[in-house]
Amino acid sequence: MTKRLDLYALTWRLPIILWQLVFFVGPVLFMVAISFFVVRNYRMQPAFDFVNWEKMLGRGYVWDSYWYTLFIASLSAAIAMLIAFPAAYALAFRASENLRRWAIFLLIIPFFTSYLVRTFSWYVILAETGVLNALLGYVGLGPYTMLNTHFGTVVGYLTLTLPLAVILQTVTMANIDRTLIEAARNLGCKPLATIWRVVIPLSKTGLIIAALFCFILSFGDFIAPFYLGGSQEPTLPILILDTTKSGQQWPRAAVVAIMMMLTLFAIAFTAIALAYRKPKGAR
Amino acid sequence: MSDPLVTFRNVQKRFGDFVAVRDMTLDIQPGEFLAIMGSSGCGKTTTLRMLAGLEQPTRGEIRIAGRLMNDVKPHDRDTPLVWQSLALFPFLTARENVEFGLKMRGVDKAERKRRALEWLDRMHIGEFADRSVDTLSGGQKQRVALARSLVMEPQMLLLDEPLSALDANLVIRMQGVLTQLQKELGITFVYVTHSQSEAFAMADRVVIMSQGDIAQIGTPKDIYRAPANRFVAEFVGRNNILTGTVKEASSETTRLATPAGTFMVETPETEPQTGTKRSFVVSADLVSLSLEEPTAANRVHAKVISEEFIGSVVTLFLESGDGQEFKVQMQERQLMNYDLHAGSQVWLSWETENAHMLDGD
Repeated sequence: MTKRLDLYALTWRLPIILWQLVFFVGPVLFMVAISFFVVRNYRMQPAFDFVNWEKMLGRGYVWDSYWYTLFIASLSAAIAMLIAFPAAYALAFRASENLRRWAIFLLIIPFFTSYLVRTFSWYVILAETGVLNALLGYVGLGPYTMLNTHFGTVVGYLTLTLPLAVILQTVTMANIDRTLIEAARNLGCKPLATIWRVVIPLSKTGLIIAALFCFILSFGDFIAPFYLGGSQEPTLPILILDTTKSGQQWPRAAVVAIMMMLTLFAIAFTAIALAYRKPKGAR
Repeated sequence: MSDPLVTFRNVQKRFGDFVAVRDMTLDIQPGEFLAIMGSSGCGKTTTLRMLAGLEQPTRGEIRIAGRLMNDVKPHDRDTPLVWQSLALFPFLTARENVEFGLKMRGVDKAERKRRALEWLDRMHIGEFADRSVDTLSGGQKQRVALARSLVMEPQMLLLDEPLSALDANLVIRMQGVLTQLQKELGITFVYVTHSQSEAFAMADRVVIMSQGDIAQIGTPKDIYRAPANRFVAEFVGRNNILTGTVKEASSETTRLATPAGTFMVETPETEPQTGTKRSFVVSADLVSLSLEEPTAANRVHAKVISEEFIGSVVTLFLESGDGQEFKVQMQERQLMNYDLHAGSQVWLSWETENAHMLDGD
């Protein structure tokens, strides 16, 4: 490659590189720096002190919150993937092309409204005197406490992730070569077994990426656990908020944020590696 | 003749308003190599898919070994298919692909592996057993696909244009592999293709389909030398088709007056009526060419229009005075004796026994 061509390519790449440096790499480095700052009399002072790391990593409630967030985000991602699968399967294999297009359009509509607004609408449905309990009352059940519970948190997460999971799964499965499914049937594979034997292996990449998205969105979400989960068991985003509020502990909040980032990096990296892993015997 | 392995009785298949197969009645014998040939949309693939249970007939009956198959699901049949796209599972190795059907049947792991390797060896691709199928060449994939179907030890193998993606040399080689396999195994092959050379090279019998109907069933030689009707005559190609009025018919020969001249044709089983319009064909390779007027009863004077050169065989395109087209096929080295060019005047002639009358006009 000639030098001139390099310069040309660089010119096109420059804006995105600058953007990333200024708005991503810079702030992250700054956040890392802040995690070593100290707070005296409610004011942050530059320093290089491991006190924040020692304090945060040494406290049980931080780790409780960490494992809880990891657990409930994973659970919610798994639930989203499971609920989405039959819907996506039907859209990909049973629905006409036209119906599929409409369904995807309708699934995008929720993203038109703010997620916060959609979360609040769950109040009406999940409250002690809400729609769902009223309906259950007719059949002699309830009332159940659904707001300010783990259930509420998961419902909130699903509000965010379920439409996305259905869209990603549908698009993935709609692209499967139907002949392969017929070939499996032809070789004696029963209809339900083809899902496990053929459909899932063929859509592996798309399914892992969809699950990863559901996890990332839930893991970093503040609204669902705060408003619907009632921050009973604080998730990490809530912990960050609490830490900054109580005594201006921005450095300690930075420690939590770095924990979150490292976790997401590790999980995203593993998931993508799994998603694109070559089949056995590939060269 | 033994009982047929497969019987189609008045089978129809519709997709909405489209009739893919109109009213098919066909017997397939055990151990025969049957080719179903036709252009795209003629219903040949639909016929094969009905045999595999991937489509259900709209009406009529399909029986395999006497059993009514209309509502038998694909996975409950013993009709492995080799697909045009091969349809190998990309997430499995060559051996796992071959094992797939056995696994579905509940054959245990060691036995599965043994039989898969045996078939891969038999197809001369044993060394690639643990390779991902995506890393194999077209010919190797083809062999994996065959092994995957044949490892099931079926009574009948279905093949849907399996060679259409291969290059010409490989096609010839795979034809040899297929015919030999079919002989060794003694099972029925039902082979769908649009390629005449593939069908004629391999099949014991050929079914020619046109717009959902069977146009002719016969040995490759029957179809080539004695096409039943105009469609087959045109489809098989390299035929001279002449149409005229019946002047006189005896049990031996029929005299037919065409615009290009009056010719003698072999009388078919039912004697044609005098005054009716009929057509006959003469294969292009059975027409002789000469510079002097020949003595043969069937002769016509014609002008060379162009030539088509395929390897050692040449097809000459000619036209008689009244505009009738003729095709003559001969060896290239024969043609060299004549020193012909576009516009050359020549004589064409053929034996009466080589003129075959068609059904209908």
